[in-house]
Amino acid sequence: MADRRTRSMKSSNLSRTAVNRASMIALQLQGESSKLLELYIQKESFPDNVTDARLVVVPPPSSQLDARDKLWRLHSALLQTQSLLERAIAKEEEELGGGVKGEYENQRKMVKGRLSILLLSTGNLLKAVDGAASLTPSLEGSELDGPTTLFQLKLWLLQVFREVHHWSKAAANTLQELLGKAAEERSSTTRVRSTRSARR
Amino acid sequence: MSQLILRHTLKPKCSLPWLIYALVNLLALNTNSQTVLTVPKQVSLSANSSVRELTISWFGGSASTFDLIILRTEFNTTVFYDTISAIINHASGRHEWKWTSAEPLECTSLSVRIRSRDGHATSEWSETDTLPGRDLPSINALQMYPLDSVVEVGSNVTFCCIVEEGKTFKDMLYGKTVVTSTRLSRRSYASTVVNVKPTNLSGSNVVCRLNDLSLTGAVMFVGYPPLPSDFVCETQDLISAVCHWKEARDSHLNGGRRKTRYSVNSRKCDVDRLPLTCSLPLWDGNWTLMAVNNLGHYSLSDSAELSHRVRPVAPIGLSSIVHAWNATLMWEWTSEGYHTLDLNCQVEFTNDQSKPRNFSGVGLRSVLLSGLYPDEAYTVRVRCGAQKYFWKWGDWSQTLSFKTKPDVSDAPDVWMWMNKDKTGLVVWKPLSHHQSHGQITGYEVTLWNPEDVEQHTQILPPNTYSVQVNLREMASVGVDKKVFATVIIKTITGASPPSRVPLQFIDEEPSALSKCVFNNSRISLFWQHSASNTCNYLVEWLDASCEHDCPVKWIRVAAGSTNLSIESENFQPGVRYNFSLYSCPSDSPQLIKRWQGYTQELVPSRSVPLSVKSQDSDVVITWGEIPLSERRGFVLGYNVYISNGSELTLLANLSSGGMRRHIVKGLSAGTYKFTVKAYTSAGEDTGTTASVKLEPFTDALILEMLGVLGIITVLLVIVTFICYKKRKWVKKAFYPEIPEPKLPGDWSRPQGPLDVRPSPHSMVHIVDKPERDLNKEALVVIPEEEEYFEKDEPVDTDEPMSLRYYNQVVDDRPIRPRFPDSSASSASSLDSAHTDVTYTGIQTSGSSLVFQPDPQGSSEERPPEVVHYDGGYKPQMHPKVLSDDAGLKPSNPFHEPEAASSVGYKPQCSWHLDSPTDAETGSLAPSLGSPTSIASTQFLLPDGDEDEKNKQQLSSSAATWFSNLLLSSKP
Repeated sequence: MADRRTRSMKSSNLSRTAVNRASMIALQLQGESSKLLELYIQKESFPDNVTDARLVVVPPPSSQLDARDKLWRLHSALLQTQSLLERAIAKEEEELGGGVKGEYENQRKMVKGRLSILLLSTGNLLKAVDGAASLTPSLEGSELDGPTTLFQLKLWLLQVFREVHHWSKAAANTLQELLGKAAEERSSTTRVRSTRSARR
Repeated sequence: MSQLILRHTLKPKCSLPWLIYALVNLLALNTNSQTVLTVPKQVSLSANSSVRELTISWFGGSASTFDLIILRTEFNTTVFYDTISAIINHASGRHEWKWTSAEPLECTSLSVRIRSRDGHATSEWSETDTLPGRDLPSINALQMYPLDSVVEVGSNVTFCCIVEEGKTFKDMLYGKTVVTSTRLSRRSYASTVVNVKPTNLSGSNVVCRLNDLSLTGAVMFVGYPPLPSDFVCETQDLISAVCHWKEARDSHLNGGRRKTRYSVNSRKCDVDRLPLTCSLPLWDGNWTLMAVNNLGHYSLSDSAELSHRVRPVAPIGLSSIVHAWNATLMWEWTSEGYHTLDLNCQVEFTNDQSKPRNFSGVGLRSVLLSGLYPDEAYTVRVRCGAQKYFWKWGDWSQTLSFKTKPDVSDAPDVWMWMNKDKTGLVVWKPLSHHQSHGQITGYEVTLWNPEDVEQHTQILPPNTYSVQVNLREMASVGVDKKVFATVIIKTITGASPPSRVPLQFIDEEPSALSKCVFNNSRISLFWQHSASNTCNYLVEWLDASCEHDCPVKWIRVAAGSTNLSIESENFQPGVRYNFSLYSCPSDSPQLIKRWQGYTQELVPSRSVPLSVKSQDSDVVITWGEIPLSERRGFVLGYNVYISNGSELTLLANLSSGGMRRHIVKGLSAGTYKFTVKAYTSAGEDTGTTASVKLEPFTDALILEMLGVLGIITVLLVIVTFICYKKRKWVKKAFYPEIPEPKLPGDWSRPQGPLDVRPSPHSMVHIVDKPERDLNKEALVVIPEEEEYFEKDEPVDTDEPMSLRYYNQVVDDRPIRPRFPDSSASSASSLDSAHTDVTYTGIQTSGSSLVFQPDPQGSSEERPPEVVHYDGGYKPQMHPKVLSDDAGLKPSNPFHEPEAASSVGYKPQCSWHLDSPTDAETGSLAPSLGSPTSIASTQFLLPDGDEDEKNKQQLSSSAATWFSNLLLSSKP
């Protein structure tokens, strides 16, 4: 993860409304990507036990990470996911598409759009916590060698859609967690102030 | 080799023997060569994996047939073994033969060996040449073949899966179906999918699964070769060519690189979307379409002259010059060539349903559109085609909208409704926009008299379609003068022609109203044409129940017409309409015929007014008419019902033409409910119910009773009269003379009653029978102690009582003379009594009937009530009353002393109720009033209580009267 800052940061710096909104978008993306996965598996008649593989490379999650680092990690993953999805859609259209606009294609387009909106939201949150910091997360790991056969392409597409679903879910969880922490910090601050005022 | 030898040994100038020798030697050499065949050398294998084709080449010497064996190298399994005829490639000098494998060539290594064959003779096998498969140990990867294959529908396709070293193959799936697998080598497995079906855009997956859950797969696309059709080329700009075609069959290979590729005259056509077209810059005249995909290709040809394939471009730059009733439409052509082209053009009005109008001409660029309506908006478009060699209509132009100019309106259609009081309405129909030719600004209504200059003009605003008129307000209106109303429509462009209508009340009624019949809200009227009538007709209709200022509707009919069909959405079901046919409606309307009818008859909305009256045992039911507006149909009749609880029983069905009255006769007393329902062709209304209560007929009962009493009276009079007339006979029959007793001896004896004391032990048991109670009334029990024991000690009730009874029952037997023997007398009395009396222990039976009162005791202690018991028949006894009334002298000197002193026996004519003596005696009177008889007890009245006495008094009076009547009849 590039451009990491070491200074600590409190969740309360974040706009609760902005986090809440981003969380809602993430939840929406989670549902839509789940539907996309379902449609794709149904279309391709994949067996049930197709193994999962991670395409997005980010540092492992840790409880030591503060809110800003968590946001950075999430934003980086979503950026990689977006890149993967765009490539996947283009490749699928090139190799397997025929200009048809069915339910699957519409769902795919919807997920792509929603992911862009979520990225905007997380980007804004990052700006909020990190000031004018340059938002250039690394795309390391997302540049993979392209699939050589159509079956490999199909499996890769499945993995990309799984990544979208995985990271939308992760985004929803992370943002909810941030919301919870912000609420905790706000309540503890209120308690301290009230204790001080009571002593006076 | 042998040929070369032959060439070197033969010489041209040989003699015949040498020739024969040479031939024999040659034959011998040939025989030797069959046994020594060349072993094929330098076997070479060349694989075309995409089509699973293996090309085998070798140097095979002179042999033309070879034995070929192909083995799967690893398991040494024979895949092919046959004798083949190979051809020699003249360029390389090698024999070549092609073999197509069922499995992909990558699946496993194949070894090939060849030997020459000549008949049964074969050479040694060649060296083995091996085509290495992808299952070599050096390639340790999970693989699947063929990759991304495209096959035709119905094919059988074999896939092989090469597993990694140390991994275990599990199965192969086609879609989600497991297919049977065979092992080709240690690591290679094959499965065949048979008769494949068309796949979708992204193809079907064949998946190879291992036991460790790893998998690989291949995608297969199944479809058809291309099949284009309807290939034609045409021109629009008169220079270039545009070719069109269709796909007669979906190839199912529309995704990615598997799409069908098209070219026309070897020019690649970019056809990403429908329609399938390809443009060529010049008109070639001959064209060939080539369609190619992974499964094959198809070609079509077309040829034509340019002038025969002109499909004009769309006209551009449409413009118009507009008038009130027509417009000129103009356009431009993009190509100069059209200016000299014979064209046929169509102008279509897109905002109405009219047919397109056709125009033609060389280089047509403008047309005149006539027959338009003023002040009307139109939208048009144009397309053209070649007139001489019509091929196809060109494209439609862009639309052009314009609006025609306004004009004066048409004359309005005016009619009137006049009331009896010279008031009324002038009515006109709203004009459509096509009729008004512009915006209506108002109406001008003028009332005028042709003979006078007086005019009344009124300006009315638009959207007014009637005006009230009152002719009484016009001073010039006389009795015979006609008044007309003229209506003019005013628009921006001016006034319309006037329409006039005479204002007169048409009160004439036709002799008979015809009934008209509707059919699906359409009414058809027919009438006979009058030759004298040259005017138009007018048919007017309105709600028949309307009487004043009625909203009339009308239709004008041309002169000479004899029928009219009217259809209106305003016709309401259940409303009676009057249809009137007038002639000359604009000058002097004359009513010719009138109809009445309903579009749909309904049941009446209101019931009849009902009244029920009783007349003795009859009930008169009368009812009124339903108001016209509430009949909702022609009333066909009335049903009269009587209500029996919840059920109605039909009493009568009366037609509407008859009286609205019905009489129900012969009803008994009680309450009755009657319901009357009017009915139309749609059914009955709900009905009106009224009840009536019939009282019992009291007057008649009284009359009946009086009648019966009268009859009884008459009968009594008749009976009396007859009795009077036959009184002798009656007397003889009912009152025969009682003979005087004749005593044979001296019956003198001491005065006083015979004292017969019954034995104390005598008992009389009276068997009481209820049915004989009337007779037993006469039995009077006299307590014994009262008569015989004048003592103070209490009376022993167990003591037997002496009975003294007076039998009053008629004794039919002849009267016998009385004997002094008390027993005989007693027996006589007993005989006369028809009472069931059982006597037990009577010792002196007859003596008990004669009692002997003590004069002292009787005068003091016996009150008159003793006398009270004395009434009745007392033969041979002397009641104590006589001692009390000793001073009385018998009035009748002929009476015997016993008889005179005794009341026991009295002839019926000897007693008098109104005797002062009787009145004085008081309690004695009842006894005296009761006549006694020996022979008959008809008039012997028991002396019971006072009521009984009164009754006896009445009956005694009647008996006295009757007795006197009989006595008076004595001679």
